[in-house]
Amino acid sequence: MIKIENVSKSYVKGKKSIDNLNLEIKNGEIFGFLGPNGAGKTTTIKMITGILNPDEGDIFIDGKSIQKEPLEAKKNFGFVPDSPDMFLKLKGIEYLNFLADIYEVPNEKRKERIETLTKKFEIYDDLNSEIQSYSHGMRQKIVICGVLLNNPKNWILDEPMTGLDPKSSYDLKEMMREHAKQGNTVFFSTHILEVAEKLCDRVGIINKGKLVFVGTFEEMKDKFKENASLEQLFLEITDDEK
Amino acid sequence: MMKNKVVALTKVFLKNSFQNIETSSSKKNKANSKSILILYAIVFLYLAGIVGFFSYNLVEGLIKIQQEEVFLGLILLVIGIFVLIQTIFSAISLLYYSKDNEYILPLPIKPSQIIMAKTNVLLITEYFIVVIIGLIPLIIYGILTSANIFYYISMIITLLAFPIVPILISSLLVLIVMSFAKFTKNKNRFQVIATIILIIAICLISFKTNDMEGSQEELIEMATKANGLVEMIRDAFPTLGMAIEALANNSYLNLIELVLVTAILYLIYIAVGQKLFLRGAVGSLYSGKRTKTAINEKIAFKRSSLSKTYIGKEFKTLIRNPIFFMQCIMPAILFPILVIVLSFAGMHTEPNTDIVQIARMLQEKTSIYLGMAILMIIQFFSMFIYISATAISRDGQNAVFMKYIPVLLIKQIDYKVMPNIIMTTIMGIISIVIAQYLFLMPILYLILITIAMISMGMLQSYLMIIVDLKKPKLDWNSEYTVVKQNMNLIWPMILGVANITIIGVLSYILGSFMNSYIIIGLLILIYLGLTMLVRKYIEKNIDKLFRKIY
Repeated sequence: MIKIENVSKSYVKGKKSIDNLNLEIKNGEIFGFLGPNGAGKTTTIKMITGILNPDEGDIFIDGKSIQKEPLEAKKNFGFVPDSPDMFLKLKGIEYLNFLADIYEVPNEKRKERIETLTKKFEIYDDLNSEIQSYSHGMRQKIVICGVLLNNPKNWILDEPMTGLDPKSSYDLKEMMREHAKQGNTVFFSTHILEVAEKLCDRVGIINKGKLVFVGTFEEMKDKFKENASLEQLFLEITDDEK
Repeated sequence: MMKNKVVALTKVFLKNSFQNIETSSSKKNKANSKSILILYAIVFLYLAGIVGFFSYNLVEGLIKIQQEEVFLGLILLVIGIFVLIQTIFSAISLLYYSKDNEYILPLPIKPSQIIMAKTNVLLITEYFIVVIIGLIPLIIYGILTSANIFYYISMIITLLAFPIVPILISSLLVLIVMSFAKFTKNKNRFQVIATIILIIAICLISFKTNDMEGSQEELIEMATKANGLVEMIRDAFPTLGMAIEALANNSYLNLIELVLVTAILYLIYIAVGQKLFLRGAVGSLYSGKRTKTAINEKIAFKRSSLSKTYIGKEFKTLIRNPIFFMQCIMPAILFPILVIVLSFAGMHTEPNTDIVQIARMLQEKTSIYLGMAILMIIQFFSMFIYISATAISRDGQNAVFMKYIPVLLIKQIDYKVMPNIIMTTIMGIISIVIAQYLFLMPILYLILITIAMISMGMLQSYLMIIVDLKKPKLDWNSEYTVVKQNMNLIWPMILGVANITIIGVLSYILGSFMNSYIIIGLLILIYLGLTMLVRKYIEKNIDKLFRKIY
């Protein structure tokens, strides 16, 4: 479960990039975080993951405050950043082992997890090559594999579908569904509205640092106009705020 | 037209090199960059002062034994070798592994123009160093030998022309070796191996001087040997003899000869270089291929301790990245070895017959200062180990990784400084082994110096990571930007010079009434105490220090 309480953040004095954000993503839920470029999606994710400290408010991962108990909170989530260009000089297998050591994945589980995940994403045969030689999609896959190694309860993904081929994209979506079904949380940002529409139990739309809508797709339709596509609704919601 | 393109390209390459010298419009930043400029000026003057002081003493000493011309040979030789080695590193990076190749190569520019512009950049960068190690000593020589105006004119022309040939030699070697790059599978490894081969080649050139005959007696003999060294190395730098003649005998004919030969060699270099450049450059644009080799299951899934895995990751990134390897790892091993090579080059074929005896003879007089001198030399070498000073920046945008993994930031800092401590220690041990060979120090003395060296390395490593945390360079496209065009790297030098001064002053003040064992012990306590304080500071301010990393 991820809980964001009264969070605000400014990069420049007097201009709030995130303005009093309140959000709760429950267990067993896939939550899509939408918004135009520069709306505050990445800033929010950076605060959830402890990369940035909020000026006000707090964030809790399974009840642990990211500010007061950072280590405990960080153990409870896996994070896929928007750029998959991670440690390019490490071989795939070295990268995965490095993460497995950080997240204390035991030996017996490690082999099974690495094999299952990398075979699913079809990168098992490339594990002995440096990540630098991977294509963008393969880099994205190895980062996702790394995050899923210790099977964290909360998944936080920043634009995870970017660069994935259709099959990997499908596999990832299936894994997200499976993860949520097991009572875990998936929080991800995306620009692809169709993905959000089909995959998410709820969506949140942020614009200019303010959460302008939270709810299901049906609730969005009820609130605004019926029979409109998510794209039309999204444009209307974010346009209203301009 | 051709000239214009070369000038324009040179400007672009130079701007790229120095873009990060901060220029900002805000008042605070302006004041900041002003104070940084003042700081650089102080460092420059300090270095110039040191070079000037040594030059003055050396020239005066040589005048007494009427060997002052040896000084000219020595200075030009130092410039030559320095430029030669320095260019090997920078030429590979600049000619082949620089990002701008990708943008420049598709443009309608001739390879000869690219080569000219890139060589210009190499030359202009070297001139900065030539000012310190060439101009100042030669002016002092001129003053002390009451030289006439012709000497000063010759000096300026010589200093402008002389560094060109060593640059051409190094660049040409680089061009030849790199033209084989496209036949190799792993380009990065090739670059590292190529650099090592080139450095060995340069060392061999220096070693050539070893064949000479030399007498074995005293210091005066050594001075003449240095002259002999100049004689022997004439072959390596075809213009060296002319430069010495031009300066020593006010010979304008030699000066014209120097300029003409340099110009001819330059033309030959461009003619050969343009043919070789594209063969290598195209090959180096593509990074390594993927190989579908099976992983070794026995070791592939083994759990390691966090410290081992983290430090291992740091080392792998350093070693596998050719530019990081050459700028961070190589100097640690290379500098002490080069010093051995260069010290013994020109000596008799059995070096222990003279230099070792002289060194041991000197030891009796200076044993109080011996340890201090060794530490000062180690400190000098470690100024060129940039592992800690770039520990955060090397990760680039990935540096945020440190903030979202469940590992304490201070622990990660400990792991990140470790490679710097290890490499400084390796370099220190090599230096101490050489010193031990020369001076046969007592074992306790040796142990104390080793501990002092390690604690000095620890302090420096923690201090340098603060520099990187305060001004991280995370937004880079080429690794070269991090390790070469990074103004933060002035700090290891500032710290090094400060530490050398402190060691010097301490040994001067305490040396007269205190045992050298106690002085070194005191230094160890100071270094360890300061290291603990600095680490405490980092721990206490960790959130603040990491604020720029997001």
